[in-house]
Amino acid sequence: MQVNSATQHRDRRYLLVFQQVTKMIAMAHEPRQVMETIVLALPELLGSDACTIRLVSDDGDSFVLGAASGVSAEYLSRHGVDSAETMSMVSAGQPVAMEDVAASPHRPFREAARREGIVSVLTLPISYQGRVIGIMRLLSRSRRVFGGEEIDFVLALAEQVGIALSNAAMFGQLEQQVNFLREVQAISKMVNSTLDLDSVLQTIVAMLPRSLRAQGCTIRLLKPHSHRLELAASFGLSRQYLERGEVEEEENTIRALRGEPVAIVNVASDDRVLYHEHMRREGIHSLLAVPIKVDGEILGVIRILATEKRVFSQAEINFARAVAEVGGAAIKNAATYRKITLLFNQIEEHEQFLGNIIDCIRPQLLVIDKKGHVVMANRAFIEASGKREHEILGMAYGQVCRPEDGEHGCPVPRVLATGEMVSVIQSQLEADGRHWYERSATPMRNHAGEVEYVIEVIRDLTAQRRLEEEQAERHKLQGVIEMAGTVAHEINTPLFAALGTAQLLESDFEEGELGDDLRTIIRNLQAIGDLTRKMATMTGYRGKDYVGETRIVDLG
Amino acid sequence: MAEILVLDDVLDATVLVGKILAKKGHTVHTFTEEEEALSYAETNRVDLAILDIKLKKMSGIEVLAELKKKNQAMQAIMLTGYPTVETAREAINLGANEYCVKPIDRQELEEKVDKVLRSRPAQDQAAG
Repeated sequence: MQVNSATQHRDRRYLLVFQQVTKMIAMAHEPRQVMETIVLALPELLGSDACTIRLVSDDGDSFVLGAASGVSAEYLSRHGVDSAETMSMVSAGQPVAMEDVAASPHRPFREAARREGIVSVLTLPISYQGRVIGIMRLLSRSRRVFGGEEIDFVLALAEQVGIALSNAAMFGQLEQQVNFLREVQAISKMVNSTLDLDSVLQTIVAMLPRSLRAQGCTIRLLKPHSHRLELAASFGLSRQYLERGEVEEEENTIRALRGEPVAIVNVASDDRVLYHEHMRREGIHSLLAVPIKVDGEILGVIRILATEKRVFSQAEINFARAVAEVGGAAIKNAATYRKITLLFNQIEEHEQFLGNIIDCIRPQLLVIDKKGHVVMANRAFIEASGKREHEILGMAYGQVCRPEDGEHGCPVPRVLATGEMVSVIQSQLEADGRHWYERSATPMRNHAGEVEYVIEVIRDLTAQRRLEEEQAERHKLQGVIEMAGTVAHEINTPLFAALGTAQLLESDFEEGELGDDLRTIIRNLQAIGDLTRKMATMTGYRGKDYVGETRIVDLG
Repeated sequence: MAEILVLDDVLDATVLVGKILAKKGHTVHTFTEEEEALSYAETNRVDLAILDIKLKKMSGIEVLAELKKKNQAMQAIMLTGYPTVETAREAINLGANEYCVKPIDRQELEEKVDKVLRSRPAQDQAAG
């Protein structure tokens, strides 16, 4: 009965401890909080002096300290946890009870335990769904024998701890995923708020390592024609590192360009990386490369670089992929926008250049649409019209072409009617005199051969006309002068003979009626001589009215 | 008195000049053909040549040049019915003493001839 009573008491105590432990860990939502609650509560509940929890490292190679109570930092920082045999058994899910650690074959543990005054140790696996995720150790400074039922009980507690840790880890992961989702949303909002490619790239390379707690980030984009990778943006990395060389031959890049994410825990020993030495100098230990993929098209690669050795979780990889996808769409939009902007600028430049050429053309130039409205006018036309460009554009052709001779002076309507080129000479009186214009209108056809526009070129022929008139006038003057000179010459010699002879006769017949007649002859011959002298020396002439429409040269 | 050669393609003009100057006591030889005038000057004394600028085959300027080749001291009066700066300059350059525009009247002709003959060197005037 006494035995039963002791057993009942022990079971009752175990039940209370179990209830307290499960109650405590149920309230803890973070793995660290769970572990700290356990290591603080268990020694008292189970009558031991200390408790430690170690978890399997991310890479699965070792156990890392999760929480501890009742032991010094020196003890905790020893090299190795326990003997390989013990660790192997625990890793296989078996508890290991050691009554006296002085008998442990693992010297660092043995020495550390001695210094710490630890005598007995119970090491238990922390499992979740049949997988060991850590170890829990109960340490006692007095010699103690761990009984089978006690071990089973603590094992059951460890299992609860495993469930709690896994739940907390799952909760943490969920929380992380929610956070990542928020980050993706934030990045998406930022990269989609601009069409500036550099801003998009810079936002991604700056935000992604911050979200993933990494050192740096690079974005390399495939050049459209050569399909070579080109560094487009970087963050948190030195110039020497960035200029180390091409990365296209690196296996991680090759795989990322195939669409596979690549996570490398230790770049120093991984042959999927080529530049080990550069990475060492930069202090990079781990790498995550993800493709930038939009609608099945790979645009480039994003690489996230961490200075500590770490295993990127699936959630982190998914997050990086999501950012790469969101970023990819924004990159594509921004690149398209840049291309469109570039093309638009080029078109604008060409238009400006063409406009300048048209404005530099001396003849006036007009473009009229098929409805007869002005759609373009060069500077010469605008200046000649005395109007502003916006007044002319859209104006009906009939308003800009108003020659004195009516519609015949405007060739555009005929071009629109016939589809043939028409050229007319138009004359009109302006403030500085009469002007002549040649108006040539040429049809501009669409693909169907219909007249879409008419280009009219108006050349001012006034100067040319005036020159021609001056030349004609000069020829006429020259003819008149030559004729006058010829006539004067031909008359002068016989006139000289006649005048001289008359004067000789006059000396013989000075008196009487004959003398008077001779003087009349001499006077008239001298008058002819005056006229021929004027004719011989003339350099220009004036016309004067004679009879009716006849005009004669004024020798007066 | 002087030996005067008159050359004009119009016969009446040569006759008139001949009559006017003969009345002043000069010996006048009139020609309408250039060759005859040049031929005459080849073998005869000529103190003054009165030449029309426009002749039949040659110009008066060319005839003057030929005459001056033979007789540098010969005086010359050029007559023209159509004066130009070019012919006037050329005539003066070749040694013409006067350049008269037709119709020149009797008195003017007499005065110009007197003036030209008076400008000759003394021994030539004595010889005349």
